[in-house]
Amino acid sequence: MTIEGNEIRREMILNMGPQHPATHGVLRLLLHLEGEVVKKNIPIIGYLHRGVEKLGEHRTYLQNIVFTDRLDYTASMCNNLSYALAVEKLCGIEVPERARVIRVIMAELQRIAAHLLWLGTYALDIGAMSVFFYCFREREKILDMFEMISGQRLTPSYICIGGVRRDITDQFLEALRVFCDTFNDYVRDYENLLTKNPIWVERLKDVAVLSAEDAINWGTTGPVLRASGVKFDFRRATPYCGYENYEFDIPIGTKGDCYDRYLVRVEEMRQSNRILKQAMKDIPDGPIMADVPFITLPPKDQVMNNIESLIKHFKIAAGLFQVPKGEVYSSIENPKGELGFYIVSDGSSKPYRMRIKSSCFVNLSALPFMTQGCLVADLIAALGSIDIVLGEVDR
Amino acid sequence: MITVTIDGREIQTEPGKTILEVARANGIYIPTLCFLEDLLPIGACRLCIVEVDGYDQPQPSCVQVVTDGMNIRTTTEKLLEMRRDILKLLLLDHPLDCPICDKAAECKLQDLVYELGYDRAIAEGSVGVPMLHKPPVKWSTIGINYFPSRCVACQRCVHVCLERVGCGVLEAGKEDGTPRIFPAHPEKCIACGECLSVCPVGALTEAVSPLKARPWEKTKTKTVCPYCGVGCVIELNVASGQVIKVTTDEAVPPNYGTLCVKGRFGFEFINSDKRLTKPLIRQGGSFREVSWDEALNYVAKKLKEIKEKHGASAIAGLCSARCTNEDNYVFQKFMRAVIGTNNVDHCARL
Repeated sequence: MTIEGNEIRREMILNMGPQHPATHGVLRLLLHLEGEVVKKNIPIIGYLHRGVEKLGEHRTYLQNIVFTDRLDYTASMCNNLSYALAVEKLCGIEVPERARVIRVIMAELQRIAAHLLWLGTYALDIGAMSVFFYCFREREKILDMFEMISGQRLTPSYICIGGVRRDITDQFLEALRVFCDTFNDYVRDYENLLTKNPIWVERLKDVAVLSAEDAINWGTTGPVLRASGVKFDFRRATPYCGYENYEFDIPIGTKGDCYDRYLVRVEEMRQSNRILKQAMKDIPDGPIMADVPFITLPPKDQVMNNIESLIKHFKIAAGLFQVPKGEVYSSIENPKGELGFYIVSDGSSKPYRMRIKSSCFVNLSALPFMTQGCLVADLIAALGSIDIVLGEVDR
Repeated sequence: MITVTIDGREIQTEPGKTILEVARANGIYIPTLCFLEDLLPIGACRLCIVEVDGYDQPQPSCVQVVTDGMNIRTTTEKLLEMRRDILKLLLLDHPLDCPICDKAAECKLQDLVYELGYDRAIAEGSVGVPMLHKPPVKWSTIGINYFPSRCVACQRCVHVCLERVGCGVLEAGKEDGTPRIFPAHPEKCIACGECLSVCPVGALTEAVSPLKARPWEKTKTKTVCPYCGVGCVIELNVASGQVIKVTTDEAVPPNYGTLCVKGRFGFEFINSDKRLTKPLIRQGGSFREVSWDEALNYVAKKLKEIKEKHGASAIAGLCSARCTNEDNYVFQKFMRAVIGTNNVDHCARL
C-alpha cells in the first residue's frame, strides 16, 4: 500500500523470482498485486540468455548440435532431432529407415521423460510431494536408457545430421521393452494419486483458462494449445521421421484450464508409449547414418580403419566442408510445443543465421493474459501448467 | 594462332602450349597433383588426364601439346572414374596419419579426396589392415623429416631440386616394391628446403620447430628476410606467440616462392632463451644486471669521455642484422650524426 498525496493506492509491486523454486529456473515475474489478486503480471526474461543463436553462426553445423541439447534441457533428444531435420532439409539428406525409427523411439522416450519431469515438479508446486518421487523413478529409467546408447543422461547429442550416432543394442531394446510393458501401470498410479484428488482438482480446475481462439491468437503450441481444444500436432499435421505410419490419438481438452493441461499431458504419455510399442516391434535393419560425402560423419570403425573415412572425418571435424546455399525452416512437435530451426546458409560450413523458434517463449507470452485477475496461489498453478524451460525461452 | 575445343568451348591459342596451360589460362579446371608451374611437366600423377579425339586412351594434359583442331573433354564420367581409381591407388597404402600429420588441412591429397568425391568404391579399396604410423627416415638435411609411408611419389621434390635449385640430390626409386624418394647424393644438398615447400602431402615435414599448429590456429605475417641483402619475401607462421614455420609467397619478387636454408630454417633465434633481454654491465669478470637508466647513463658517460680524449674516430659501432631496419637506421644515424664517425658495421654476411 502506498500513499501518493491524498490518494491511497492499494497496489503492491512484488518480484517473484528469479530465485523462486516455482518459477522453474530463472524467470522473474513482476507482479502488481491488490491484496491477493494479480492485477498485472509482467514476465521478465533473459537471465539464462547464452546467445545460442549468435554462437551458432560461429560454429560449424556439426558443432551446433551440442548447443541444441542445452535449449530445453529436459528434451534434448527432441532438440537434436529438430536441428538435424533442418540441416538435412538444407542439404537434401535422406535418412536411412532404421535411423528414422530409432529417432522416433528416442523422441517419444524423451517426451515421456519431459512430461514426467513436468508432472513431478508441478505436483510439487501444488503441494503433492509423493508424485514427484514416482515420476522421477520412471524418468530415471529413461535416462539410464539414454546413457546406455549415448553415454549421456541429460545432453546426449545422440541424434546427429544424417542419422544417429551409434546403433541401439539388445540391452537397450530389452530395457525399452520392460519399460513399455510396465509404463501404463505407472501412469495409472499417478492418476490415482492426482486425477480425482479433491485438492488437486480444486487447485487446477477453472484456473488460467485459455479459450481455443485465444490459444491460437497467442500462437501457443503443444499441450497448452491442445488443452484448449485445438487438435493440432506437428506429428500429424506435417509428419516427419515416418510419424504417419504410427497409430496414436491426439488428446485434447475442453476448457483450456490447468486441469485440462494436466490431463492432456498424462494422456500424451500413454500415446507416446503406444507409439514406442509400435516402433520397437519392427525396427528395420540397415545403416544408421546417411552416407553423404563431407556432411555426415563416417562410422567410427571405418575412420579407424581406412584413410578415405579418416580424411572425410578430419575435413568435417575441422569445418572444411561446404553445404548448399539457401534457407530452410523445419519444426517438430517437442514435448512443450513447436521447436523450429530457421537456418540461412551462405554455402560455408557455418550457418549464416540460425534462428530458433521456441514454444516455451510463445507459451510464456500468453501467461499474463491467462492470469489476469487471478490469485497469487493460482499464478503458481498457471505458470507450472504451461511448462516452460528457461533454457529455451532465453536461448 | 590455332583453334582448339575444350569442353565444347572454342579457344584461340598459341601453338606449343600444353593442354593444361591452355585450359588454366581460360579458366577451365583440371585437377593436378604433381604439376608445378615453373618446372617442366613431371607427368607422374596422371590426375590431369583428358580425353582427346583421335587417341584411344586419355592423355595427360600437362604433357600433351595442343594442335590445331584438337577436341578435348576434361570432365567425362569415364575420366572421373579413372581419376578416382588413381586416387584409390594413391590412398591404398597411405597410413592413417591425418590426426598427427603436419600437413592435414593443407594437404593436396585430402583436397583431392574432397574434390573428386568420397565414394564407396574408393573406400572399399583400402578396407582391411589399417596402415599404421611409421617413424620418419633420414633425409639429406636435419631440418626435414621424411615419412616414406605418406609419400605419393609425385616427384615434385626430385624435379624442384634438379631444375630450380640445380643440385640434383634426390632420386626416385623403389623400396620393397613401393615407390619412394631417396636422397641419393646427400653431399650435394644445400639444405634449402625447396623439396619441403613443394611436397603436396605430409611426406616431407619441417623438423626445426618443436611447436606445430593447424592452419586455422596460425596467422601468416608477410615480412622481409632478416639475413642477406637480397631481401626475399617471407611469411612468418605464428601460433601461440611463436614463429613456428617460415613460408613464402610464390607470386612476389624477388624470390618467387624460393628460399635458402637461412630464410627457411633460421628462425630459432627469435624464441631463443640465450638472447639478452636486460642490460648488463661488466664488473670485474662477471656481468651485473642493471636498469636501463643506469646502463644508458653509463654508456653516454663513457662515450663522451672517449670522444673528448681520443676523438670520434676512436669509436666504432657494431649493430645486428637481427634488429629491424628502423633500429639499424637510427643506429647508424646516431653514430654518424651524434658521435661523428663512419665506423659503422653490421653482421649482414651471416
